[in-house]
Amino acid sequence: MSSSIYLAIPLMLVLGLVETAVLPHFPIFGAEPQLAFVVALAWGLLYGIEEGVVWAFFAGIFTDFFSITPVGVSSLGFMVGVTAVIFVQQALPKSRVLLPLALAGLATVISFILNIIMLRLFGTIADFQSITILPTVILVNMLTILPVYWLFYFINRMLRPRRVQL
Amino acid sequence: MNLNDAQRRIRWTTIAILVGASILLSVLDSTGNLDILFGFMRDPLTAVASWTTRQTDTVADALSGPRDLEEARTEIELLQAQLEALERENEELREIQGEWQILQDLFNRVRQTPELRRQTANVIGYDTSPAVRSIIIDKGSEDGIRVGMSVESPRGLIGRIFRTTQNSSQVVLITDNASAIPVRLGASRATGSLKGRGASGDLIVDWIDLKYQLEVGEVVLTSGLGGDFPQDIVIGRVVQILRNEADLFQQAIVQPATDFDTLEIVLVVTDFTPIDTTIFESPTEN
Repeated sequence: MSSSIYLAIPLMLVLGLVETAVLPHFPIFGAEPQLAFVVALAWGLLYGIEEGVVWAFFAGIFTDFFSITPVGVSSLGFMVGVTAVIFVQQALPKSRVLLPLALAGLATVISFILNIIMLRLFGTIADFQSITILPTVILVNMLTILPVYWLFYFINRMLRPRRVQL
Repeated sequence: MNLNDAQRRIRWTTIAILVGASILLSVLDSTGNLDILFGFMRDPLTAVASWTTRQTDTVADALSGPRDLEEARTEIELLQAQLEALERENEELREIQGEWQILQDLFNRVRQTPELRRQTANVIGYDTSPAVRSIIIDKGSEDGIRVGMSVESPRGLIGRIFRTTQNSSQVVLITDNASAIPVRLGASRATGSLKGRGASGDLIVDWIDLKYQLEVGEVVLTSGLGGDFPQDIVIGRVVQILRNEADLFQQAIVQPATDFDTLEIVLVVTDFTPIDTTIFESPTEN
């Protein structure tokens, strides 16, 4: 496991706080982005499956921390969502705009449905009617991933510039 | 074993460990075994969330208020420091006025039903999962809050306590899909079970006998049956009736009286006298 875990834990904690205390005041189309999940996904798309899964794990933990859902349920959904789309990413041609958008939508669908199934399994409140909000969450997550992905991309380029052979 | 195989093995081991950890945590948390541990962790975090919410409230209020920026700029140029001071004071007064209005509504609500014992609480966070609808309040077990207590706003019922820590509690809103509350309709006296409809924010009253002639605009109140909620707390108004003579029951769509997106202060009903159900008990034989 890489040292990025030391960044992931405090960052996800802060994002969890932002999701519960700040974002509900500024809804987009009546929903808020799953910021921690989107950040984990963007990180995974740039740095690979292992990094993505670790970040998704902590994103889920801190998301559940401020939710009535059992801690760990969102982690599972996020990890499966991130893993699945990184596999899909490897099979698709590289694109720095369309691909993150499409994969964010796909990952949101996978994690959301798995989340509801898990909540039902654990006997916690959740209903498949919740799916009615899914299109809005997909849209909002898709809108959010682009700036996050590009931010990570440029930070990566600054910290680890490409080697050029002359 | 070459390097790629080793890397792959490490990767899948990591994933397996994390998946296992998630499942283990979920099982332990849903069975209540992590309540003490997470209670310790949640308390400082909810304190931070409370502070963040207060700051964000101020910013959001300022952004939502009508402002003529051009005019404001001109005025700032003319009056500079004096105007800034006055604007600051004005904002503070508006904030105080808003809080005063909320408190007055709460006071009126309490005065209407003095038989209920209540505890006021600030809303400090909203649920981070889009699949469920809940809020976090800044009162917990130390303030006498217990799981199952009903929570209301000045306008009506909003939910019930789902989980508590020492200094905070999570409240499941009545708009959540899994919420079910025994209710009565004001004019027709029909009874039914109120369920949330999640994201739409609407509510639906199910299991209403066809013999009742419902009307749009009827007030929906808690019936008090079951003893979980006090009687006669307003929930909302009927906006649509779903009646089909082929069905055994009819349904009513209800618009909640409370705007759940603007909750700031709520009342937790800490004590009430449940309705008398002793007539349903079978007499003991001597």
